Amino acid sequence: MLENFSFRTIVEYLPLFGQGLVTTVWLSLISFAGALAVGILLAAMNLQRGWLFRVPAKAYIDAVRATPLLAQLYFLYFGLPRLGFVLPELVVGILALSLNSGAYVAEIIRAGILSIPRGQVEAGVASGMTYVQRMRLVILPQAFKVTIPPLLGQAIVLVKDSALLSLISVAELTRAGQLLASDRFMPAEGFITIAAFYLLLYYCLKGLAALSGRWLGLQPARSST
Amino acid sequence: MTSNPKGQANMTKTGMIDFRGVNKWFGALNVLKDITLSVEPREVVVVCGPSGSGKSTLIRCINGLEAIKDGDLIVDGQRLGDPATNMTRLRTEIGFVFQSFNLYPHKTALENVTLAPIHVRRIPRAEAEKDGRELLAKVGLGDKVDAYPGQLSGGQQQRVAIARCLGMRPKIMLFDEPTSALDPEMISEVLDVMVAVAEEGMTMMVVTHEMGFARKVAQRVVFMDAGAIVESGTPEEFFSHPKTDRSRAFLSKILRH
Repeated sequence: MLENFSFRTIVEYLPLFGQGLVTTVWLSLISFAGALAVGILLAAMNLQRGWLFRVPAKAYIDAVRATPLLAQLYFLYFGLPRLGFVLPELVVGILALSLNSGAYVAEIIRAGILSIPRGQVEAGVASGMTYVQRMRLVILPQAFKVTIPPLLGQAIVLVKDSALLSLISVAELTRAGQLLASDRFMPAEGFITIAAFYLLLYYCLKGLAALSGRWLGLQPARSST
Repeated sequence: MTSNPKGQANMTKTGMIDFRGVNKWFGALNVLKDITLSVEPREVVVVCGPSGSGKSTLIRCINGLEAIKDGDLIVDGQRLGDPATNMTRLRTEIGFVFQSFNLYPHKTALENVTLAPIHVRRIPRAEAEKDGRELLAKVGLGDKVDAYPGQLSGGQQQRVAIARCLGMRPKIMLFDEPTSALDPEMISEVLDVMVAVAEEGMTMMVVTHEMGFARKVAQRVVFMDAGAIVESGTPEEFFSHPKTDRSRAFLSKILRH
């Protein structure tokens, strides 16, 4: 069996995998930045007392979490042009990942903000801070620390989800594996290689999570009682 | 909020804090019943009473942490709930010390003290830090300016919390059971600071069962039960000759040990 496994072909295709890896990395980075922006906006809407902002935010988050990412991607890729918006596939891909991951990020941020004890809000109120000052000076700096580990978890999910963009012919890592599989009829070589690269990315993010955890451990996250 | 005609009739004298027929409900529960109470400038009033009697709610209304349902509450000449009253502004004049300290855990002691002066009062940072160091020295924590709350004992945290309020140069200080969350050996260090603040002429309302503190600095003790003010008088009158059965029963419980 194993004599059929061609390491030479993998080495031959390495530049292609390299390009795919680079594409996966930067489109994930952009998408995650987009997800953070979407998530912060949605979380802020979702935390309002009035229904005007809260209800649309909840509806959006539910809709995204209830439907498959693939369906969302196809809606944007095939559906939007029919509605008159023609965008390059890379833009559609980044948009899909940002909008999808943003819904999950929104819930992580919301949970982080709600985890800050009520007394912190009251201390800010009592000292005459406005809502914006309380958020900026008291709540968000504390919530930020609590949310870093789950946000990195979400980043790992996003990197793996980016594989779906191969289906709309974005030349990322999985696409490179598919090319090797179809050009040379070597699916084992193609997909084991991309798996190795995804594992590499995973360990990078995990290392980052561990580093941030150690950094967070420097200061106590919560006062007693 | 509706204005109370009775309250408007006797506008003649206005204290620093003026409750006029104030009522408040939590659902069906009448937590403040027709409260009328006036606190003069520089006066120190101790509020005591059994758990659930509404004493914390009473002082939380003064800076709007709780909203009142009807009656008038006038603080520093401004009626709460009045559209002309800038609540955020008014709160800068009122220091509030919490039972659980509520220090900002991500800020050092000095940053806790200077945060609101810098961002709310808009005092230049250098000046606010100079003030902050002085205040922390005054509460006996001159060597802890760079410590985080998590590195301080309960008594030290509460003293930072008092310094944090003083940093705003308030006209009124409210204390909500400031020593109830503390180990016994830390209570006196906090009370000493409160006595010093009182002796400087601060207008204070203090929810506490610390009778020594009340005897030392309070002009008046207010006893609450079931949302109403049952009795009020000088500490001497109240502790030596309580007038009602309820206050006698309460005192016998807290003075027993």
